Amino acid sequence: MGDFKIIAVDDSPTMRRIIVNTLKRAGYDQVIEATDGKDALAKMKVDKVNFVITDWNMPEMDGLAFVAALRATDEFKTLPVLMVTTRSVKEDIVEAMKAGVNNYIVKPFTPETLKAKIDQVLAG
Amino acid sequence: MTLSTSLQDIIQKEIASLTQSVNGLVENLHRMKSPLVESHDKVPQATNQLDKISQQTEAATNRMLDVIEQITQREQQIITGLQHIGEEVSGQPAAKKIDELCELATTNMNDAYSVMDALQFQDITSQQMNHAASLLEEIESKLKNILQTMGADAKVLTQVESAKKVRTYDPHADLFERKTEQAVIDSLFDKSKK
Repeated sequence: MGDFKIIAVDDSPTMRRIIVNTLKRAGYDQVIEATDGKDALAKMKVDKVNFVITDWNMPEMDGLAFVAALRATDEFKTLPVLMVTTRSVKEDIVEAMKAGVNNYIVKPFTPETLKAKIDQVLAG
Repeated sequence: MTLSTSLQDIIQKEIASLTQSVNGLVENLHRMKSPLVESHDKVPQATNQLDKISQQTEAATNRMLDVIEQITQREQQIITGLQHIGEEVSGQPAAKKIDELCELATTNMNDAYSVMDALQFQDITSQQMNHAASLLEEIESKLKNILQTMGADAKVLTQVESAKKVRTYDPHADLFERKTEQAVIDSLFDKSKK
């Protein structure tokens, strides 16, 4: 997919590995990893990222605070963000939506769902 | 004003009875203290055990991921090799067999990926164990408060309670049950766009 770069933000090394593998199978070769929001923000200062996949429950900076931090900057105000989390309570989903996520998947997910949601977010 | 002898007797008996009750109560509290201290000391052991299960499951899951990645890479090499051979023997009787072998290798590779997808369970069970550990730590803290009220040595209790881990988890994390289905989530996002 050329220079298209995705950042996978999750504190679980297992989940990051599964997400990276799933993305590579879907043709997204350029994936960088971060352990939480703080780590992601630091990496995004160095690497230009086109798409964010983030978990919610993480140490240091959770997914919601991370999305809020992204939306508060001019640079990342419109950057596509897909939240992939175990949180499936409706109120949480609404909260994530208000924070500015573009779409939302509940774990465990299938590769088809992940691919479909990325396509959907990119299509606007 | 003087109390009659009979009234004094009654009061003395009541005080004696009250003293006996208080002594009994103090004795019971002392008796309770030992099992409470023991329970308080055992909570960190249970918490550590949960953390150990979580760490070992993660290590085993990552080992499985290593193997799956190796299998899928090898299968991909087999498929590529078979495709080359298939081109060379195109039109010959062996070509059909090559196609079948290619199909089998692809099925093997997809099955290996399905195992990889299933390993997402590790993140979910790890969150469930963190939740359980966090509840145990809450019990430990409440037991500590009770024991301190009962005069237990705060220094000893604090030693046991030290080295708390930062825990992040979803209290509703579940492998099989979702509070909201993906279709409902999709409709929420669709509505927000309109």
